[in-house]
Amino acid sequence: MPALEGIFTRYKKPVFNFAYRFLANRAEAEDVASDVFLAVVSGRYHHSPQAKFSTWLFTVTRNSCISRIRSGKKIFSIWFKTEQGENQHMDIADESMPGPDNALLKEEQSVFLEKALARLPLGQREAIILKEFQNMRYEEIATVLNCTLANVKILIFRGRENLRRELKTSGLGEEMQ
Amino acid sequence: MNTNHEEWKQLVSAYIDDELSSTDKDTLHNHLVDCPACQKYLKELQSLSQNVSALNNQTLSPDLEQRLNNLNSRTERSPMNKTSLWKVTKTVVPVVVIAVLIALTMQIYVKRGIQGRMRSAADDIGNQYSANNGNRSSLVALGTAQQKVNKNGSITWKDTASTTQPSSQVFKGDESRSRKRAANKLFNASEVTETQRGQDPVALKEKYWGANSGQIQDGAVEEGYLRRENDQRGGFMAPQYPYAPVQVQESNTEQYDLITENDFHDVTDDPLSTFSIDVDTASYANVRRMLNSNQFPPPDSVRIEEMINYFKYNYSQPGWNQPFSINLEHGLCPWNTSHQIVLIGLQGKNLTEQQTPPSNLVFLIDVSGSMNDANKLPLLKESLKMMVAQLRPEERISMVVYAGNAGVVLDSTPGYNKGLIMNAIDNLQAGGSTAGGQGIHLAYNIARKNFINNGNNRVILATDGDFNVGVSSDSELVRIIEEQRQSGIFLTVLGFGTGNLQDGKMEKLADKGNGNYFYIDSLDEGKKVLVDELGSTILTIAKDVKIQVEFNPQAVKAYRLIGYENRKLANKDFNDDKKDAGEMGAGHTVTALYEIVPAGSWENAGGNVDPLKYQKQTEKKSFWGNSDEMMTVKLRYKEPKSETSQLLTKVLKNPAGIGGSGWFGSSDNIQFASAVAEFGMLLRNSSYTANSSYQAVIQRAQNSAYNDQYGYKNEFIGLVQKAASLDNRARPQVPVYQQQVPVYQQYEQPQGYQQK
Repeated sequence: MPALEGIFTRYKKPVFNFAYRFLANRAEAEDVASDVFLAVVSGRYHHSPQAKFSTWLFTVTRNSCISRIRSGKKIFSIWFKTEQGENQHMDIADESMPGPDNALLKEEQSVFLEKALARLPLGQREAIILKEFQNMRYEEIATVLNCTLANVKILIFRGRENLRRELKTSGLGEEMQ
Repeated sequence: MNTNHEEWKQLVSAYIDDELSSTDKDTLHNHLVDCPACQKYLKELQSLSQNVSALNNQTLSPDLEQRLNNLNSRTERSPMNKTSLWKVTKTVVPVVVIAVLIALTMQIYVKRGIQGRMRSAADDIGNQYSANNGNRSSLVALGTAQQKVNKNGSITWKDTASTTQPSSQVFKGDESRSRKRAANKLFNASEVTETQRGQDPVALKEKYWGANSGQIQDGAVEEGYLRRENDQRGGFMAPQYPYAPVQVQESNTEQYDLITENDFHDVTDDPLSTFSIDVDTASYANVRRMLNSNQFPPPDSVRIEEMINYFKYNYSQPGWNQPFSINLEHGLCPWNTSHQIVLIGLQGKNLTEQQTPPSNLVFLIDVSGSMNDANKLPLLKESLKMMVAQLRPEERISMVVYAGNAGVVLDSTPGYNKGLIMNAIDNLQAGGSTAGGQGIHLAYNIARKNFINNGNNRVILATDGDFNVGVSSDSELVRIIEEQRQSGIFLTVLGFGTGNLQDGKMEKLADKGNGNYFYIDSLDEGKKVLVDELGSTILTIAKDVKIQVEFNPQAVKAYRLIGYENRKLANKDFNDDKKDAGEMGAGHTVTALYEIVPAGSWENAGGNVDPLKYQKQTEKKSFWGNSDEMMTVKLRYKEPKSETSQLLTKVLKNPAGIGGSGWFGSSDNIQFASAVAEFGMLLRNSSYTANSSYQAVIQRAQNSAYNDQYGYKNEFIGLVQKAASLDNRARPQVPVYQQQVPVYQQYEQPQGYQQK
């Protein structure tokens, strides 16, 4: 296992982002993230030396997210969603925005994309997140999701297809070059 | 071709992920050459992929950062204990659920409460120092955290108001643009109406964000971040800003209660002055902290009596049967030579260790994430260790923590088991963010269980401003504290850190709990409070100590009590044993200063009031005699266990020829105390500063800084110099009647007064 300090600095953001996109709820994602690192420091889950650490870490994160969804906490997250989820969009402002009109467009796009991502079926969503956020290999994703390689391929493809379609129908897809 | 188009697409998807075998790649390449649709698809997917990965941009909230840091540092310091961690995680889940429930039920309350507070803050801005002065002083303090937030705040505001900067305004996807325009219109419209109603735009800003006015209180901080509630005008919600990666921690929510300075009272109208003593010293430590961070303290953070009482003075020791001695001194008023100054000093009895009753202390410690700063929990831990080292075997100490969860980390442990106590202190960790817990009940229960008869039973609350101790409202908290006080368990409050300090509330709580409020800004201060003054801080020798002074109109025309603004009592409260007042600990000194306008002065100190129309103004009252007396100081106190008070009186004779002896004849006590008072008045921008100056303060303090065992007085001089360099306010105009004051007045003929 890499040194703890390194793990924290390197993975805290990815883990949190994964959980955040997975759960679409900041508060829960924060709890998951701290749970995951708690698990890491306590050595609660055994990390087999032949597996890649990041793969293992995201497996733990994913499981933690899933158990959170299962544990009926959704009731509350629904409340949080109506309270802030609809109106609150996280700081997506991109510093490298070209110009004002493009900026507006870009922002709308990413907001829309964010929502579309949140609407994806779970499997597709997590596959996409692991691929796009972490740039994992399909094999690794398969390990995390505990499925076959072919499955990962399909999940990612369907996910992209869905996102593309949603963007298209919203009219934002055209400008998206 | 259409039939296997789906397959091509799949290949494209894998292709951009570089997951194709070389044969597949070749096939795809060949296909792409003559299939524009697939080329387009490839481009779209690449752009989509890019855009999706751009969503991987969520910054961690400061709270989460802190939680993770805690985890990290915890493992660095001590090897992990699996079982305890299990426990922690197991408790985290229900606590989160409870917190969410509380949040749910409090939602309405929070909304209303917050808006109400913001509104009143906005209203108050005009006439109150607190919020505005926060701004002002932060302007003085270049590069302080506060200023960053100010900047931040104003930027945020601009964003909200302008249509050209929509970067943070985000609405529902499809119709967002049109809605945005409409919404901005709405918002601007409402803003205009507000402004037209004559409100200061700054006040308006405060109203929406309340960021600088410090009005966001415990209820609003849910799960560690500020959820700013917006006005819902016409159904429009202003965008809610998530924390930028910037500094939520640094946003300043320190709160200070308004202090209205005491006025001069005409002795013929109002010969009695009554107040409760105050042995707190927190204000001085807090001011010191601010000055040391190059910040000019806001006026309401300066309580002059607490500054004066920070220092020890040379008073006579009390007689064997009295808990304290009364010392009266008299001198010229240094900042206004036509006035005089009277010092009332109480010296509490010093107890030797054998006389000191044993302590039963329950520390109620805030371990929320914010306590992690070096000047908070770590400082408390070091201070506690020094205290424990001096603990006697029969004394007991226990610790209860609260944050996400209240829990006993050290059940009542006798002083001989120092190892165990030290261990528990070492294991204190800041972490967790959620409100909740039954901390205060837990702490009082432990104190009750281990109650030591005739001992010093006390709950000591250590916090940086979060009072999520398991009681929902302030009044409920006060009620509990008062109730426990009746049964002999007192409360002391230790304040730590910056940014969220709720100074007024802390002082009030300690006051209700027959205790003291200390602000601990350094290890030295921690040592002073918990170790050097252990006996006195902690041990009450007299309670409900009230002072009533009767001035003799033959010698005094008008008087003004310096400081003690929030300790004033009604005259009739003096003999009312039910009225609560300040406590005095072993070895404590309490010092109060009166600024006095001597009889015969031409000043109209009582203000200009029209003669009464319906009542005949009686000629001046006739006197009992005693023309050689200046004033009588009466003092009531109760023994710690008694409910009936005892009376002490002492008379100050009319000093002869004070003008002749001059200022430099007065004692070190009065010189130093008046220097501190003058400094406090300068900081508060008092309207009575007259000829005050930092230079005069420094000079007098230097002349009188003897008996400075711990170097506090010299430190004070340094602070004054610092304040002088930070103070760029215009000096207040000296009132006209004070400008032409002849240097020495005639004091020989006080009886001439009533024949006016």
